[in-house]
Amino acid sequence: MMTKSARRGLRFGKPALYLFALPATLLFVVFIAYPILWVAGQSLFTRTAEGQMVFAGFANYGAVLSDPAFWIVVRNMVIWGLITIPVQMVIGGLLAYFIERHTYRLRSFFRTMFFLPVVTSVSVISLVWVQIYAPYYGIAQEYLKLFGITMSFSPIGDPATAIYALILVNIWQWTGFSMLMYIAGIANLPSEVLDAARIDGARGFRLAYDVVVPMLAPATKSLLLLGIIGTLQTFPIVHLMTGGGPNRASEVFGTYIFKQSFVLGDTGSGATLSVIVLLVALVLSLVQIVFFGAQLSPAKRKPE
Amino acid sequence: MTGYARARIRSLVIHAVLFAVLALWMIPQVYMLSIGLRAPAQAFDAALITWPVTFDNFITVIRDNPLARIFLNSMIVTVATVAIVVAASSLIAFACAVLRLKGSLVLYATLLTTLMVPLASLVLPLAILLKTFGWVNTYIGLILPYAALGVPFAMVVLKAFMEDSPAELFEAARVDGCNAWQIYWHVALPLVRPALVFVAIWQFIVTWNEFFLALIILTESEMKTLTIIPMQYSGLYMANPGALFAVLTLIALPLILLYVVVQRAFVRGLTAGAVKG
Amino acid sequence: MANLTIENITKSYGNVTVIPGLSLDVGEGEFCVLVGPSGCGKSTLLRIIAGLEPISSGRILIDGADVSDAEPPERGIAMVFQSYALYPHMNVDRNMGFGLEIAHTPRPEIKERVARAAEKLKLGSYLARKPRELSGGQRQRVAIGRAITRRPKLFLLDEPLSNLDAALRVGMRVEIARLKAELASTMIYVTHDQVEAMTLADRIVVMNNGRIEQVGSPIELYENPANLFVAGFIGSPAMNFLDGQVAAVANGKAQVKLALGPEIEVGLGARVEAGARVTVGIRPEHIRLAAPGTAQTHTGKAFMVEMLGSDTFIHLREGNAQIVIRDAEARRLRMGDSVTMALPSPACHLFDGEGRRVSARP
Repeated sequence: MMTKSARRGLRFGKPALYLFALPATLLFVVFIAYPILWVAGQSLFTRTAEGQMVFAGFANYGAVLSDPAFWIVVRNMVIWGLITIPVQMVIGGLLAYFIERHTYRLRSFFRTMFFLPVVTSVSVISLVWVQIYAPYYGIAQEYLKLFGITMSFSPIGDPATAIYALILVNIWQWTGFSMLMYIAGIANLPSEVLDAARIDGARGFRLAYDVVVPMLAPATKSLLLLGIIGTLQTFPIVHLMTGGGPNRASEVFGTYIFKQSFVLGDTGSGATLSVIVLLVALVLSLVQIVFFGAQLSPAKRKPE
Repeated sequence: MTGYARARIRSLVIHAVLFAVLALWMIPQVYMLSIGLRAPAQAFDAALITWPVTFDNFITVIRDNPLARIFLNSMIVTVATVAIVVAASSLIAFACAVLRLKGSLVLYATLLTTLMVPLASLVLPLAILLKTFGWVNTYIGLILPYAALGVPFAMVVLKAFMEDSPAELFEAARVDGCNAWQIYWHVALPLVRPALVFVAIWQFIVTWNEFFLALIILTESEMKTLTIIPMQYSGLYMANPGALFAVLTLIALPLILLYVVVQRAFVRGLTAGAVKG
Repeated sequence: MANLTIENITKSYGNVTVIPGLSLDVGEGEFCVLVGPSGCGKSTLLRIIAGLEPISSGRILIDGADVSDAEPPERGIAMVFQSYALYPHMNVDRNMGFGLEIAHTPRPEIKERVARAAEKLKLGSYLARKPRELSGGQRQRVAIGRAITRRPKLFLLDEPLSNLDAALRVGMRVEIARLKAELASTMIYVTHDQVEAMTLADRIVVMNNGRIEQVGSPIELYENPANLFVAGFIGSPAMNFLDGQVAAVANGKAQVKLALGPEIEVGLGARVEAGARVTVGIRPEHIRLAAPGTAQTHTGKAFMVEMLGSDTFIHLREGNAQIVIRDAEARRLRMGDSVTMALPSPACHLFDGEGRRVSARP
């Protein structure tokens, strides 16, 4: 029997056509693949007192993993991810839902305004928030006074609150992105399904919870994947606001690597950290893809 | 109360809530602008907005700093990166989606892994690599790595859009006598225009705001981009928040303005998957 | 205008062979229709001729030149796709001239050819429009126009009318027939609609499961189907098939006892054994209504009567057999009425156990 499932690709087959793939591949090989290989290799070396690089096997890994600072960073990253990802999703999702479904003429306005923090330069944001958090002249103090709280020093100066203060900034900046992904997801919802559900009697919360949320699963999956990567990428906010302190209370992988490699000059341990972070990212991504299916765009496309 | 009236009230309430949330959300930016507009005497006042409003800080800051040059740096790096990303990603997306070259799927998957690699892991080797090339403090030292980082996402979006296009269109072009390049240029690219716009805008935003690599690579103030220059100013204007926030406002402004202008096209490209022509 | 020779080609996708071995000759200026049920391979064959699909073995020659490995642009063909495949971002003018543009034809000539084609297809006032602004029928004409301007050696059309609604289809069929006369090109046309095949073709190629069942003129296929498949495919409503067994063979004639009852005499064109299981085929329009008791008749009860005004279709059910009679005299018959149908020998076709026709030519 005839099978029309055989994919119809255009036949060209000439080697010259691989030129199409060349620029992207070249960029990848030089700037991604080679650095990764380099870093993997470099992590196996260490600098001796004389400045020589000698092969050290997994010694670097041992050193890094037994350093308590490393585990503080891991803890910080976990906190970071566990808070930012769901909170951004929920707030972003709520905003997206109400903006898309319940506004009309002001829709563009709201979409744009909530997305502005995303396009605002992160260094600008960091410095503004430092000012906001400032204990005597920052406005955070002003508003907290209303609740009877006085800050003796800035939230970002206090080891107990530093990381949460930074997380707040992150949420402030990036929720607009989650919102936009959900907006795209909602725009792609077939209206017939929603209409059918409403005829079935689902309204308000029920409609949202039982129909809309499950159908936004692709967007949610994308956000989860991007959120994990994004969490591991965190650098500017921390570097500019606390530098990772005080006492590593807000240290993240990005700043840790930065300090090891560029401040202390210990490329061996910097490389090792780079490899570890890379592996963590890969494993988490693969786990998510395997369990939830990969989706990179919020539209209902076939999984990669 | 009629259902219609109830719906109106519900709409009003929702709008009110949204505005309230928005107002809260905008506080940091309003704050920034407000401090920039304050006279030095009030700079350290712990209030959101103070009067009167003065533009002195802005004038000082513009006069004293080579902001134009820094803006140019950001512009050059970003535009070049966007151009390269759009070109490279559309070419490879075409190769994978339309030409279906042997092994293209493997190549595609390999490039995808880039998306999972945190930049933090790459800065060290990239820094050393760029130093070897002698590309520290150059435009190209940023442009090429940025492009390498941006291609995978763009490639995914464009490949999906190209695959959604009807295969017969490409076949008709083939029958019309087009070679691969002509099909790419005359048929594939026009067909995925909304996606190209989206990818370009996104890449622009991401590149303009990139911090980590720029920080490492650009050490000469002349070459710095708008994204990393604030650090310098925070030291320079430590005692003068008014000036600091004036310059910060100016730094944040270009991209905000750009986004306001292109946001319709941007969102349209994002939601274009919904409505097939 | 070119001729096409297909020499014993096969086509496989991996382990699945969809065309096991096919040969065909299409003459210059011929309008050849490939027809058959869904999945029979007609579209695949067309795409093979176009060069959009490679062949697994065999040769294809256009005007004597071996094009088996040639790419579509090198074959001198033009194709009208089922979905028209118009470039959505180009207007009609550019769509029709695009092939010429790629071939570096000088601008004035492109303009002239497009204008001529547009005039032939009554598209003159639409040249500036984009495809999305056109109706289905207009788009289809643009697709045809795009093929005409290229002045190809071979004109390939892949079910061009199947996306149109019924009324439009009839009108466009006439248009295509007119174009066929005007252009005098070699055209290969694929359809699943046998009415289109019958009205448009110089020769019809009936395909089934990747094989050619029969090639011939429309009348040839109608009057002399080579086997059961062709007999049942051509003609609407389809030919009636009745099971029977050969009672005796003598003088080049076979006496066939039908499962229904009556005995029919059929002239033989090929050998058949007495006792063999056979199938008798007779078209609804050839069955006569007769008085009961006449020779070679069968009486049954009409279980459905369709009165169309000009024709009446009488349906009978006997055991497993369903019989349709087309009666042009529009008698007022009703469900349940007794019907006597006569099966005149000249109108009967005989098919052997393998479905091959063994009856003589009428």
